Amino acid sequence: MLQLRVPAGLVNAKHLALVQELCETYGDGTFHIGTRMTFDIPGIKYENIEACNKKIKEYIQDVDVEMCGVDMETIAHQPAEYDEDGGYPTIGARNIMACIGNRHCIKGNANTQELANKIEKLIFPSHYHVKVAVAGCPNDCVKANFNDFGIMGIYKQEYDIDRCIGCGCCVDACQHAATGVLTLNKDGKIDKDACCCVGCSECSIVCPTGAWSRSTKPLYRVTLGGRTGKQNPRAGKLFLNWVTEDVILGMFANWQKFSAWALDYQPIYLHGGHLIDRVGYKEFVKHIFEGVEFNPEAKMADDIYWAENEQRGNMHVMPLSQHKHAGPQEKK
Amino acid sequence: MGHKVSYEQANAAFAKLSEEYEIWAPKRFPKKGRYSDTDMIRYDKVSSVEEIEYKEKSDMPAKEVLTPISESLFYFTEDEYIESKATSKKLLIFMRPCDIHAQHHQEKIYLSNGNFEDMYYKRMNEKVKIVMMECTEGWDTCFCVSMGTNKTEDYAAAVRFCDGELLMDVKDAELAPYFDGTAADFKPEYIEKNQISLTIPEIPNKEVLTKLKNHPMWNEYNSRCISCGACTVACATCTCFTTTDLIYNENANVGERKRTTASCQVKGFDDMAGGMSFRKTAADRMRYKVLHKFHDYKARFKDFHMCVGCGRCVDRCPEFISIVATVNKMSKAIDEIVAEQK
Repeated sequence: MLQLRVPAGLVNAKHLALVQELCETYGDGTFHIGTRMTFDIPGIKYENIEACNKKIKEYIQDVDVEMCGVDMETIAHQPAEYDEDGGYPTIGARNIMACIGNRHCIKGNANTQELANKIEKLIFPSHYHVKVAVAGCPNDCVKANFNDFGIMGIYKQEYDIDRCIGCGCCVDACQHAATGVLTLNKDGKIDKDACCCVGCSECSIVCPTGAWSRSTKPLYRVTLGGRTGKQNPRAGKLFLNWVTEDVILGMFANWQKFSAWALDYQPIYLHGGHLIDRVGYKEFVKHIFEGVEFNPEAKMADDIYWAENEQRGNMHVMPLSQHKHAGPQEKK
Repeated sequence: MGHKVSYEQANAAFAKLSEEYEIWAPKRFPKKGRYSDTDMIRYDKVSSVEEIEYKEKSDMPAKEVLTPISESLFYFTEDEYIESKATSKKLLIFMRPCDIHAQHHQEKIYLSNGNFEDMYYKRMNEKVKIVMMECTEGWDTCFCVSMGTNKTEDYAAAVRFCDGELLMDVKDAELAPYFDGTAADFKPEYIEKNQISLTIPEIPNKEVLTKLKNHPMWNEYNSRCISCGACTVACATCTCFTTTDLIYNENANVGERKRTTASCQVKGFDDMAGGMSFRKTAADRMRYKVLHKFHDYKARFKDFHMCVGCGRCVDRCPEFISIVATVNKMSKAIDEIVAEQK
């Protein structure tokens, strides 16, 4: 099956004509919406692979090179020969998913496509596997929480007490849709438990006067280590809160280097989250934030204890010889 | 008299005017809109032409200059009180024709309704000079032409914003000297047709009115309206406020009395001492507002409908409720009721 990358699940609709043509000419006439928002073309015969790869040259150019600024002549930041008639050079870094974000959704705090495209440039092409998704808000419709890195657009909310008419709509909205951190006080104004605020902007969305508004600085929360899978699926855990785009991009700029080190420079097929497990959270953090400067509001998990949903008993208990190690490996 | 004023000349005039006037105009607050990466345009003090957002309609009406959402009326201690002070300067306010008409409604309610003069309003209102912002295109939520508020002669000066220069019609003798030496022909123009129009229904008699009040058309708003009051806060004509005594900590006898914008759409607005209230559902409150703007006010004052067709209630509603669609539904309901009567 041919999978076309669709960063953020959003490309110009003109490409649908190509998808239909591929499906009908080389595939079995059906089309599958990929589970990671790719265009999937089932049923391509072995003998048609070459023709298909040639056919998608322009698509790759339009979407990855032009739209995302991907450098196809490097793999994991190393120079590599690129055969533009040969289709995608790697499949390691998976398609970056995103909800529609604030370009359409009124709840969205972020332009998810813009961020996804910037991340695409940093993680693709690469043989090292990683799953990333970008959600416009902590509602997380895209289920970023089940990706290695789940990014969600948030904002600190600002409260202008002089514009507040005490209607209580923010209190109801926060209670109903978020974490219930707002209360109406005896003076008809709002009190807030800032600690539990998830930065979703429900208060700013319903506020009739603009008393609540987002700060002008877009921020993100990031969950880490979520995954599906047969062995030990699990939800991600809160990793970063209130970080800027610069922190996120700085982190992804280090992902390939981290993966390479963790696998001793052998790009074997192993899901990105497992690398973090092998290395251990505290060590992972040292690598991934090398040279990254945190914004003043930023918070990061001191440690993470994932709750794994064990599909089989004793999954971590095994002979010592089967234990997995990070960093320099004994040559076999 | 007409003038052609470069931004540079206008800014020099602004600087001179600022000695005597506060200049208020719609200003863009980037990224402060309801939705992310959208802006808020509302009234604020400006010191240069460039700060004035003239290309888009302001989200909030000009009324905020005279009646801010919250203001302190007086401060009290245990045995005396001190009135708050209004600004010592005069007020030069940039407004579109709809806002100028709305200002007339505001004056009527604050200064003559019930033969009562609200001194806090009066002390601001008497300082006002209006600069009319020419408005010939409007936006997709405007229906000023339907409400007859697209034109006005009530201005001290009128202005057309052009790239890099202003065309002005200065009528006020006090303002004229600030623009000496810039004479040019200019008379402001007015919008003649909006993208949308509204036919205001006539309610022929009390029986129809009573039936309309109980018509099922209002039920829709029980599920749509969240009773936030955004429509009335954004309304150029709404005047309702509430007063609150803010007690300073540690001494319950010292504090200040504030007045804060109130909304007939917010639950609890009509709560009475003793626990009674009249409009218990969002539908009741919506009906009350719509009839007030398109029937009751005119029935009482015998002149104009209250709504000036600025469309800000539509722009600001978080549930995308359109007053135009609502009035059209009301017209249909009235037709039904009248047909039944015959």
